[in-house]
Amino acid sequence: MKISVLQENLAHGLSIVSRAVSPRSTLPVLSNILVATDDGRLRLSATNLEMGITCWIGAKIEEEGSTTVPARTFSDLVSTIPPAKTDISLHEPTQTLNIKCGSLNTDIKCIDAQEFPPMPSPDLEAGIEINVTDFKEMIKQVVFAASHDEARPILTGVLVTVEDNILTLAAADGFRLSVRTAQLSSPAPAPVKAVIPARALSELARISNDGSEVITMALPPERGQVIFRTKDIELTSQLIEGTFPDYQQIIPKEYLTRTILSTESFLKSCKQAEIFAREGSLIAQVNIRPGPEENSPGEVEISGQSEETGSSQAIMDATIEGEDIIIAFNVRYLREVLDVIQTPNVALETSKPTSPGVIRPVGDDNFLHVIMPMHLGS
Amino acid sequence: MAPSRVILHLDLDAFFCAVEEIKDPGLRGKAFAVGGSPSGRGVVTSCSYPARKMGVRSAMPAAKALQLCPNLILVSRNHRDYGHYSHLVMDRLRSFTDRIEQISIDEAFLDISELGRSPKEVGSQLQRTIREELDLPNSIGIASNKLVAKIATDVGKMAAGGEGPPNAITIVPEGEERAFLAPLPVDMLWGVGPKTKARLEILGIQTIGDLAAYPDIELARKFGKHGYDLARRSKGIDNSPLSTERGVKSVSNERTFPEDLGRKSELLEHIIRLSRQVSGRLRKKNLRGKTIQIKLRWSDFTTLTRQTTLSNSTNEFAVIQEAAAELLDQVWEEGRRVRLIGVGVHNLDTNAHQLGLWDPGAQKDIKLQETLRELREKYGENVISRGLNT
Repeated sequence: MKISVLQENLAHGLSIVSRAVSPRSTLPVLSNILVATDDGRLRLSATNLEMGITCWIGAKIEEEGSTTVPARTFSDLVSTIPPAKTDISLHEPTQTLNIKCGSLNTDIKCIDAQEFPPMPSPDLEAGIEINVTDFKEMIKQVVFAASHDEARPILTGVLVTVEDNILTLAAADGFRLSVRTAQLSSPAPAPVKAVIPARALSELARISNDGSEVITMALPPERGQVIFRTKDIELTSQLIEGTFPDYQQIIPKEYLTRTILSTESFLKSCKQAEIFAREGSLIAQVNIRPGPEENSPGEVEISGQSEETGSSQAIMDATIEGEDIIIAFNVRYLREVLDVIQTPNVALETSKPTSPGVIRPVGDDNFLHVIMPMHLGS
Repeated sequence: MAPSRVILHLDLDAFFCAVEEIKDPGLRGKAFAVGGSPSGRGVVTSCSYPARKMGVRSAMPAAKALQLCPNLILVSRNHRDYGHYSHLVMDRLRSFTDRIEQISIDEAFLDISELGRSPKEVGSQLQRTIREELDLPNSIGIASNKLVAKIATDVGKMAAGGEGPPNAITIVPEGEERAFLAPLPVDMLWGVGPKTKARLEILGIQTIGDLAAYPDIELARKFGKHGYDLARRSKGIDNSPLSTERGVKSVSNERTFPEDLGRKSELLEHIIRLSRQVSGRLRKKNLRGKTIQIKLRWSDFTTLTRQTTLSNSTNEFAVIQEAAAELLDQVWEEGRRVRLIGVGVHNLDTNAHQLGLWDPGAQKDIKLQETLRELREKYGENVISRGLNT
């Protein structure tokens, strides 16, 4: 292999794929990045066997070839060299990669590319095309609700369903549920139902900004994998096996109180309450008081306190329809959902202090979030 | 630099025995002990000063106590009475200051910094109040922090000698903490149990003064964070505040059997009973806990504890019982006999807890708990309990 590549391109490619490197694997080759010439470009790939990321960068190829380079050494080195042309060549028999740039001349010991887990190129024909900007926002609106508890692996994933031209993402950690839908520009060839690790989707949202407008999602039959592909990037992830719990049944069908608040001031009040509540049990008490007469504005008081640090109360104007209620939520859950709502106003629907609350962006039916309250005891 | 504090530690002298003497003045001046049974089973919970003279100590198996002191009178425990008197004492203490931390049934710390009177005056008045109004002897230690105050009480008690209760008052003026501790054996310090003591002895450390003179850095290297704490404590430094509100850190009940038990099914029955008691105490205090612990003492006195942490806090009998039974499963060795079993709930929080999306009938359960609580309040703890499908 003999190639030359611009340092900027190489550094960019390495930053994208290195998130899939498993630094402490028992398989040494998994700590390496596959570097291979591929159809006039240079391919960089890393995998931890659960998730793999590939990035293609422009390069001048004089001689085809491939090897795997220790990720840490490679990245650290490339980040120190000046933005200029870098010449890379592989001495096949010893698997030594020589890198020359300006006055620098380095040899890195590599592992034969044969040992790298095969990353078969998928059939993207049957894939579903999704707008990148939309998909990134969808991911952001659900992944935070996924569980980190490995005891229930299924909840560490995001349920992705496609029916006709409706794409739905749903995540729940047992205490809250986030559901986001979007319309596809064209109907999917076949319905999809798969649970994708939340981590893989977070990674995807982070790296898919290569200027592509669409991302292709493919689920090759019987492989237990999902593949996302943009112009220069491909992310492959194992699916999580098992049945995602039926979330439709836990979305309340009705409410007794509907409170409309400014998203910004609701979020700010939650952040203030959290400063105190985080020292204790993270409880924010939400006291919803309708106005004295019908149609007169009501108010919402959000308070957080801790024995050590003190307490905070914030009162906001609100449009309230229905009865007054005092309900307690984990303030972090409130803050996390309000953080991903884009509309200026948000609706909180509640029934009883022990029944789930629903949060919806006002004027946008594509998102909803269900939070179980905290029981304050007696 | 934190403002200097004046902390008072009060310890009731042979509390359970003192209460028994109030109930039966005939016991006064006699060698007797609370706990254990005449057949020689169980352990001595508390012993009178004449019994102590004969070498009897609390936590000693009753059989051994009877060997040392054949005339020993064994009185069975009456926890209700002790609780009652403990309440009376704490109420008296609260009339002095609300800055009080009760650490057990017969011990409390008071922060008397802001009373504006000399420590000696406060100490004497307090001791007299408890002794004269409640007829309960007590000893007091006063220092600039909790650590030294408690040790001062212990030192005062040991120095008292005599036939009766010590009724000691020991004051360590600020600045003299280190000198006061220096001659004392190292295991009088918090955090120095038999194991640490043995390790310290190897280093040639016998007294708290030896420990204070040992290089901090070496202690930290040998004992980690614990070593750092030891280094500070040995110099009489302790900044821990009084936990005036959150006194309870765990709730546990245990039982020493009249005869060692060898059958798992019998132990499970005790686990059910203990879990029910622990659950009841948690509910009464409006607390829930996340960590369930069992304690097991084999017949050869080796003791082990095992714990498990749940994803959500609980005070429900069935949940505690199930977790405890599972823990017993993990440690059970067929053929061994058990002397003591205990069930505890740690990692406590107020009753507030996060409800789950898929909790089966979470709301129904809350409703049920509330109804049960009302029933128990009205008709007593034993009016209703859960049936078991065993």
